Formats: sequence, C-alpha cells, structure tokens
Amino acid sequence: MMLQAENIICGYGGVPVVRGVSFSAAEEERVCILGPNGCGKTTLLRALAGLLPYEGTVRLRGDDARGLSRRELSRRVGLMSQLAPVYFSYTVYETVMMGRYARHERSLLDREDEADRRAVRESLERTGLWPLRDRLVTELSGGQLQRAFLARTFAQDPAVILLDEPTNHLDLKYQAELTDSLRAWSEQGGRCVLGVFHDMNLALGFAQRVLLMQDGTILADSPADRVDRGLLDRLYGMDVAGYMRESLRRWE
Amino acid sequence: MALLAALALASAALGVAVGSVYIPLGDVLAILASRLFGTALPADVGAVYPAMVLDMRLPRVLLAFLTGAALAGSGTVMQSVLQNPLASPFGLGVSSGAGLGAAVVIVTGLGAGAGQMLALPAVSLAFALGTVFFVLWAAGRIDRGLSGVTIVLIGMVASLFFNAVMNMLAILFPASAQRINLWLLGSFSMRQWPSVWVLLPVTALGLLFFQRYARELDAMSFGQEQAQALGVDTRRVKTMLICAVAALTGTAVAFVGVIGFVDLIAPHVVRRFFGASHKRVLPASALFGGAFLVLCDLAARTVMPPREIPIGAITALLGAPFFLYVYFSGGGRRRL
Repeated sequence: MMLQAENIICGYGGVPVVRGVSFSAAEEERVCILGPNGCGKTTLLRALAGLLPYEGTVRLRGDDARGLSRRELSRRVGLMSQLAPVYFSYTVYETVMMGRYARHERSLLDREDEADRRAVRESLERTGLWPLRDRLVTELSGGQLQRAFLARTFAQDPAVILLDEPTNHLDLKYQAELTDSLRAWSEQGGRCVLGVFHDMNLALGFAQRVLLMQDGTILADSPADRVDRGLLDRLYGMDVAGYMRESLRRWE
Repeated sequence: MALLAALALASAALGVAVGSVYIPLGDVLAILASRLFGTALPADVGAVYPAMVLDMRLPRVLLAFLTGAALAGSGTVMQSVLQNPLASPFGLGVSSGAGLGAAVVIVTGLGAGAGQMLALPAVSLAFALGTVFFVLWAAGRIDRGLSGVTIVLIGMVASLFFNAVMNMLAILFPASAQRINLWLLGSFSMRQWPSVWVLLPVTALGLLFFQRYARELDAMSFGQEQAQALGVDTRRVKTMLICAVAALTGTAVAFVGVIGFVDLIAPHVVRRFFGASHKRVLPASALFGGAFLVLCDLAARTVMPPREIPIGAITALLGAPFFLYVYFSGGGRRRL
C-alpha cells in the first residue's frame, strides 16, 4: 500500500473533527473524498500532510509517518492547497524550484544541481508553463498560478499527492487541464493521488475510488462508478443524480 | 549587484569627504592608504585632516552603513517570515523595548558619566531582546503554530505597552525627557571606533545567518502551511530567524537609537530591481540600506549646520518620497 491511514483522530483546540478514519490507497490509484461542508475532509488531508497533530497511524509504504522528519515527509507527500493570494514577485521558475527544497540538506553555499533543473523543467512542461517560466507569479491568472503550484508539487517528486480542492476558482478549461496533468502523473507507477473536490462531476471523472465522509467518519468506500446513490442523496440532503440530470438537460 | 556595491562605496566616500569641512577625495584616499599600508602622506594634505577622517568621519560612516545594512537585512527577513509586506523588526517590540531600557538608564543615571557609554547600549539591548523573547513566548503559548498574525498582534500590544511605560518615565522625570526623546530619534554623532567594532561582527554574522536561510525564506513567503508542505520546519526556522533579527536590530538600536523606515523600504525598493528571491534580495537590501543610511546621515549633519537633524527624522523625510517615487514611477519591473 502506498498510503495507509489507521484510525485517524484529529481536530482543533481539543475538539475532534476527524473521528476515527481508516482507509488506504494503492499504487497508481486516484482516490477522492466527497462529503458536505464541515465533514472533516480538509482536516484529514492536513493531518496526512503532517500539518496537524493526530492520533492513530499514517503509513507511507509501510513506514510510520511520525518517524519521518519534516523534510523526509515532504519528499514522500506533496500537498496542493486551495488557491491562495501571493504577495512576493517570484518568477514561475523560481516558484517551481522551491519544490526541490526537501530534496537537499541545504547550507550556505550549495546551489541547485542538474537533477533539480531537470525536475523543474519537466514539471513546467507537464503543466504547460515552460513558455511562462520567466513570468512573475504576481502577474499570473488564477488558473496559471494554480498550475504553477501544481508544477511545484510535481517538482517535489513525492509518491503521494494530496489535493485540497485544487480547482476552486478555476475556469472549466483549467479544471480539465489540471486534472488531466494529475491523471498523467499518477499513471507513472509508484504514485497515488488523494483529493478533496467540491465538484462532484469532476471528482467522479477523475478518481477511480470514492470515500464518502460525514461528521468526521467514512461512511462508504467504493469504486467511482458504483457510488451508493441513496447514501449520496442522504449525505447532501437532496436528489443528487436528479439534479445532475436536470443540469444536463439544459445543454441538450 | 555590482552597481549597488559601487553605489554603496560611492556613498561611503561621499560621507567621509563631505562635512563641515570638505576634504578632497584624493586626500581621503591618501590618508586611508597611509594608515592601512604605511605609505607616506603627501605634504599638501591638511594637518587636521587625518584625525578628522580616521577618528570622526570614517567610524561614523561605517557605523551608519552597518546600521543600515543590519536594519534592512532584518526588515527583509521579517517581511517574509511574517508573510507581510508591511512587517518590520520594530513590530516585534525591539524598538520600544530598547527605548524603555535606554529611558531607565537615563532616568536612573546608571553608570553615570563615562560608564553610561557602555551601560546605555547594554541595557537597551537587554530590554530589546527581553521584549522579543516575551513576544515569542506569549505568541507560542496562544498559538502553537506561531502564525504571523499572532506574532504581529502580540508584538504590537507589547510595543504599545512598553512605549507607554517609557512615556510615563519621561513625564515623571522631566529633566531626562529631552535626552530620552533625542535618543529615540537616533544619531550617529559621538560614535567612535568601539561601537563599530561591536556592530561589525554582529552585522556580518547576522547577515550571513540570514543568507543561510534564503531558501527557507523563499518558501515562507508563500505562507506557513505551504512552506511546511515543502519541507520547512517553520516553527524552528521562524524562532531562530526572529531571535537573530532581535539580536541584530537590538544591537544596532542600542548604539544609535531608533532609526525607522530603512528596514521597511529597503527590501521593497530592492525587490523591484532584483526580484523576490532571497539569495539576491538579502545582500542587495543590506547594501542599499547601508548606502541609504550613510547618505541620510550626511544630510543630517550638513543641511542645517552646525545643528544636526536627528537621523530618524531624515530617513522618513527622504525615504517616504523616494519610496513613493520608486513604487509609482515604474522603476524596475517588479511590483513588490
């Protein structure tokens, strides 16, 4: 197993938000977490990325994540968050190069090496940003900026990528591009993706497996094409499939 | 960067040459050469010039340069660590702590006379460091992650509180009020070589330390959580950098008083020309800050002779319009 979570409990200020979550993700698998607002999706992701203390165990290819240093953890797990504002004018290239941070034990004198430059170039090409490499991140559109952050996560070269609603605020076209590059990345072997998406269509199109979450626990774990419709309706308090069909009809 | 270094050298030369008496640049160089390499001094160099250059102007210019470099470097670090383009070391309570320390020494007459030359910087440094440690400790207790907002808030509260205590002292001891006020505005006058010898290694070490963390600072510019996800141990790095900033600015402030504005504008100006990467911004900012303060000090002592304008007033007076000019004239292509 690439990623294994066993009975994860975590939250904020002593109040548990995630209450005993267990699941696992295999190589080349894309897993998606669905659930209503406040069900603990993002909190779970933050715990898996080591940004939040938790009870329970996270295993990465069998190794307990708690035993890894921050740097080691970042070599194995990359996190891509929701789009956030940027204040400082780095170039796209510089920004993506930051993904290489954990790959080195840095000191005053050493600089990036050939492997770093190759990884950055590949990541930029993979996200279609190579032509924009000298642009400033403060001058990018939301979609371009989010692609730059994705490229940075690729450059980090982790085995597991965690996505926290990466397509929020993105145009349809950019959403599709982003998920396409993630799909291609995950199919390279030795890798997996675990994502939280708000857009159900996008989630079901992207993932092979879906975890349904409610009140900090996982209610169901199923292949993406066999999600329990009744459960989904109860979770969101509406006829989900009916709503989707209704929206589709508008296009016909 | 070479251009900036040349600018810094030129400003230093100007600072040494110009003053109540103009000393030709050639003479300045001859005097320096005779002191450094033992070459003979040309006969036409004025008899008082060597003493003026070596004992008065050179240490003063060096001190101004070091202070500017220390403050500008620290400002750069604070803006990235707190992910706030308006952050400055003084927001941590460095200046108010140092100010209170100085006020206590002035009011109590601690180490009166010659001893005060030593007691004043020592006590104000101790107070500055104490304030920052208190701010870090309190912020860490409230917020384990030590987020920028918490630090800024606690720093502000501590600053206001210590300022108030200092003002109370000034009111209770009116005889000392003017000295406290003058100290607060900062000055490079009456500063001799000993101050330079203390500030030089502290500044050099501090700036090298910052440079070592250039990559961490880059990552932290994007926010704490992103930096952590990239592999930066933000809590540890942040604490270390803030302590280094406190030591560096605390020492500078202890010797020359509170000099604002350099720390805020130097990084902004420099980023417009060199981009945001700390590998370049840190040294460029130090060079710029140093040169800027040398020129400000030059203005401070030459604009209204024989009176000296407090340097703190000059930095803002010259700095504010300069900052607006650079920011809005489109000089450089970077926005921030």
